[in-house]
Amino acid sequence: MSLLAFFQWCEESSIGGVIRGSSWLFPVIEAIHLLGLGLIGGAVLVVDLRLLGLGLRRQSVAQVARDAQPWLIGSLTLMITTGSLLFMSEAVKCYYHSAFWLKMASLLLAIVFTLTVHRKVTIADETRVSPVWNKVVALVSILLWSGVGIGGRWIGFS
Amino acid sequence: MQRRLTSSLAAFLLVPCCLVAAPREASVGEVGRRICGISDLGSGGWAGFDTFGKIVPLGTMRLEGDGNKGVGTSFLPFFQRLADSAWSTGLHESRYAYDLIESVHVWTLCLFFGLTVMFDLRLLGWTMRKVPVSEVARRLLPWTIVGFVIMVMSGALLFSAIPLRSYQNIFFRAKMLMLLLAGLNVWIFHSGVYRRVEKWDLAGVPPRAARVAGALSLVLWIFIVLSGRMIAYNWFDCDRQPQRAIVNLLTSCVPNGSDH
Repeated sequence: MSLLAFFQWCEESSIGGVIRGSSWLFPVIEAIHLLGLGLIGGAVLVVDLRLLGLGLRRQSVAQVARDAQPWLIGSLTLMITTGSLLFMSEAVKCYYHSAFWLKMASLLLAIVFTLTVHRKVTIADETRVSPVWNKVVALVSILLWSGVGIGGRWIGFS
Repeated sequence: MQRRLTSSLAAFLLVPCCLVAAPREASVGEVGRRICGISDLGSGGWAGFDTFGKIVPLGTMRLEGDGNKGVGTSFLPFFQRLADSAWSTGLHESRYAYDLIESVHVWTLCLFFGLTVMFDLRLLGWTMRKVPVSEVARRLLPWTIVGFVIMVMSGALLFSAIPLRSYQNIFFRAKMLMLLLAGLNVWIFHSGVYRRVEKWDLAGVPPRAARVAGALSLVLWIFIVLSGRMIAYNWFDCDRQPQRAIVNLLTSCVPNGSDH
């Protein structure tokens, strides 16, 4: 099965059909997707601002990251669930839209980066990580997640 | 410092909200005649709005009849003039400017809404329980203020690209009203329970008044985001008649030819 065939299969699925057939389902799912974006943005920024030395400076990076983690995982789950539903309603359009692929590439990189490098820095003993490295990791993280968000917004533009 | 920021935030919120709560002393008939005199496209109505800022001809609105109809009609000529301006049509028809501004608006949602939510969650005792509330406020609220200013500026630009249609959009009006309520909530919180923050700074779960403020803020901002997203949809637009009378009243719509 080619990738395009898979996308077509998604679009022709009953879930995709139901969402397309309704005048309000897509807007409502999309609005929830947007709320998830705000929440994930908050959970990411709280940690990355701390890494940049700009946010909750009196708390350790590890503590801020621990506090934010459930909200990051929760909002990411919400984003992926609602995002998949939106995708199924217009999969073929996404296939031909470069913003969609930019978004997917950013998403993949953002998740991998968060689970590996970012995670390692946030749980590490702070005295052993150089502040410059902290800042680089924070900026890369913000950049990657921004790519996901802005790529997503541009799927709606043609 | 904190108080000055709070009061300027409240003032910022009040301005757009006054538009909705506007007096309606002007006669719609007079307004209508003036607008129809400018450009009357007849049965086409004034629609022509496009959610994603693509190039579409902007139609015109047509108002007829006498007497006051709907909420905030007196501002219609002003927004009609704004809609006719080169600035507005230029932004509306631009290839990239509108999309870019909207991207900024969405990105800043993360900064403003995301960090506001984090603070609200702390007030509810749902996150960062070991961090003093005043510390979270001092470190995060300046960022939410930066975010809010960018939100208002980018939002005002988006509004100016499609002023009349936005002004008469029921979700836009709901959003402005809730912004006012959210601003009031901020003011009440900072002039009330937050003044005694040193007494409950370290409490994992803050006192009831603080939790209520956090919950109200959370609910209001969620609905502000939701209604903001819904502005793009035209279910209750003036050019989609018939609508319920209450919808036309709340959006200050006078349906084409309804008085004949």
